[in-house]
Amino acid sequence: MASCRWPWRRCCSWRPAARSPGPGSPGRMGPPGPPAAADGGVQMSYFNLVKSLTSAFSNRYSMSRFHHTTSAACCCSKTRSGEKYIDPFKLGWRDLKDLYEDIRKELVISTTELKEMSEYYFDGKGKAFRPIIVVLMARACNIHHNNSRDVQADQRSIALIAEMIHTASLVHDDVIDDASSRRGKHTVNKIWGEKKAVLAGDLILSAASIALARIGNTTVISILTQVIEDLVRGEFLQLGSKENENERFAHYLEKTFKKTASLIANSCKAVSVLGCPDPAVHEIAYQYGKNVGIAFQLIDDVLDFTSCSDRMGKPTSADLKLGLATGPVLFACQQFPEMNAMIMRRFSLPGDVDRAQQYVLQSDGVQQTTYLAQRYCHEAVREISKLRPSPERDALIQLSEIVLTRDK
Amino acid sequence: MSLRRLLLRLPRYLGVSGSPRRLWWSPFLDTISSVGSWRGQSSRSPAHWNQVVSEAEKIVGYPTSFMSLRCLLSDELSNIAMQVRKLVGTQHPLLTTARGLVHESRHNLQLRGLVVLLISKAAGPSSMNASCQNYDMVSGIYSCQRSLAEITELIHTALLVHRGIVNLSELQSSDGPLKDMQFGNKIAILSGDFLLANACNGLALLQNTKVVELLASALMDLVQGVYHENSTSAKENHITEDIGISTWKEQTFLSHGALLAKSCQAAMELAKHDADVQDMAFQYGKHMAMSHKINSDLQPFIKEKTSDSITFNLNSAPVVLHQEFLGRDLWIKQIREAQEKGRLDYAKLRETIKAGKGVTSAIDLCRYHGNKALEALESFPPSEARSALENIVFAVTRFS
Repeated sequence: MASCRWPWRRCCSWRPAARSPGPGSPGRMGPPGPPAAADGGVQMSYFNLVKSLTSAFSNRYSMSRFHHTTSAACCCSKTRSGEKYIDPFKLGWRDLKDLYEDIRKELVISTTELKEMSEYYFDGKGKAFRPIIVVLMARACNIHHNNSRDVQADQRSIALIAEMIHTASLVHDDVIDDASSRRGKHTVNKIWGEKKAVLAGDLILSAASIALARIGNTTVISILTQVIEDLVRGEFLQLGSKENENERFAHYLEKTFKKTASLIANSCKAVSVLGCPDPAVHEIAYQYGKNVGIAFQLIDDVLDFTSCSDRMGKPTSADLKLGLATGPVLFACQQFPEMNAMIMRRFSLPGDVDRAQQYVLQSDGVQQTTYLAQRYCHEAVREISKLRPSPERDALIQLSEIVLTRDK
Repeated sequence: MSLRRLLLRLPRYLGVSGSPRRLWWSPFLDTISSVGSWRGQSSRSPAHWNQVVSEAEKIVGYPTSFMSLRCLLSDELSNIAMQVRKLVGTQHPLLTTARGLVHESRHNLQLRGLVVLLISKAAGPSSMNASCQNYDMVSGIYSCQRSLAEITELIHTALLVHRGIVNLSELQSSDGPLKDMQFGNKIAILSGDFLLANACNGLALLQNTKVVELLASALMDLVQGVYHENSTSAKENHITEDIGISTWKEQTFLSHGALLAKSCQAAMELAKHDADVQDMAFQYGKHMAMSHKINSDLQPFIKEKTSDSITFNLNSAPVVLHQEFLGRDLWIKQIREAQEKGRLDYAKLRETIKAGKGVTSAIDLCRYHGNKALEALESFPPSEARSALENIVFAVTRFS
């Protein structure tokens, strides 16, 4: 947990470069693209930019990925109100202890088997990462607006809806990927078959939509239906591939945004809309969610290489086996251009997956991806620090650090 | 590539043989706005289903036969069409679904959208239409109602595509390579999800949370209905689950009636009609859909010349009714008698069923629902749109 890293972290401080790449780039709706050439039309490849930043700090980054720099203290004189360590999960859980039970209540299904299938993942064993962020953000925004520490019922609904949309997409993804296990148990498609699994996903999505409609706020509906579209487009992006190296990275980040970050960003935005009328706050919430979301996925992609299957509850090197080239692979390809051919054929030849794994572990792909995730987290912290101090705001800061240091 | 050219090429693209239903609209596509209202012939009751539909389409101002295709084929995602094309030569059901959407047969017709448009026009503007003054109206239909019709078709097509997923563990060698089926499943899921995402976005744009709730609950009903279709279908021994006609009606409402009923109701809500009008629209949608389904179920039993190889669904209305009259044991006995070495002789079973009371009572049920639909229409003012809706009911309840 992050608590043991606290004293170390306070010793190292580090200011970000004046023009930050990727994270924090403008364009609230879109994904973070590669850095636009801001001055003189100099086109710098994304990789080169990242590399130049990395080499400036190469001493630090030869250490293991568990060490990282502190957040930039640029906007508020104190980034933390009080030095007490707050466990965000404990803080958020007060609102969410009945989360799964309440989700199950939304799944008004008469047939036993279909109900069982739909409730399968709402068993309390998931990380509930998204709902936690949502309720913490709700409180942080409410406090910022009028010092109210209560979470409105509608805001809590958003937490449920976010988790339901996420689960519906997981169920479909598992069929698409022909996955056999998730969260330590068999997937819905392996137990009940593909036909029924697809229907279960549709059902959960429809239940989420009904709950969304009942909130009665058309802005919130628009925000969250965007997520549904992004999730599908993200999957389509994954089907296609790009030839050019720079395009590949941009493509990867766009896919990452659509598949993972969009849900978190937009749910944060939705609760901020419900809690506070100030558009600046909505933007802060959205940016926090977006940056944490991307960092979360980047670390997920790293863990696919560094972790072993017991911890994760699902087999690793899963991405390679699906033919997907994620962050570590794309960075490794810089050092080992022979990986290009494997990437283009989506690791389809026998031995490709193992060789690719070897290349990645030999290269600094993992470190580079982790570093990139840190940048996104810093950006998230920078944004959220603009809100009025509160335990929840600090918990959100804490959470971005947990994203970096988790191991499952 | 323009939509029209793409659509004209699509049959060949998908390996469909024979000419598509009718592309009567192709010369009209450029001049569609001039095909406005059309008078004088709606009082005759048309003999042929296609004629009913084409007259109705003229009343609403443009053809409804390619609503959901439009988004599937938009340039941005033209790779869906490419991906589906890769399935030509395999046996994945998605190909059949795609062909069916293009080469529309009588019973695959994209009827729902048309009905929603007609009922919107038939209801006209509400008496309390102050809030609708900002909406634009073309051919007597608000643009939000047109949007709703499209959303209805999107939801229907999405589930049509999702019905075509294959259980990998049940594949046999005659179904072809596993990876073809896996790929087909993948494209089917993604296409269906894409259609649903478009539907959700469309709903959000309507800025009416009650309509979103209605359509979302219709989707939930539809999914449960499709689930029932899967579960109660005949297993290896050709014996279906023992469901009586009332359960059949409930399940059929879910799989066929709910979407149209709730969509018609939503169309009324968009025009701010009161609860009574909304209820009448709901009733029309529900009963019309039920009678349409029963009509569809009856086709194998009432056609004069049927080839011996024609099969029918053992969970269709006439069969369920036949079973209910006969009792479970006798029905199982009849199935066994019609089996030869594990294969069902559909021709023989069909004769057995025709000799019973199932077919006639299915025809009665179809007419019952048809009459309820007509009753619901009585509360709408007379108009050519209302006549078109009546004609649709006449066409589905006609069996001679």
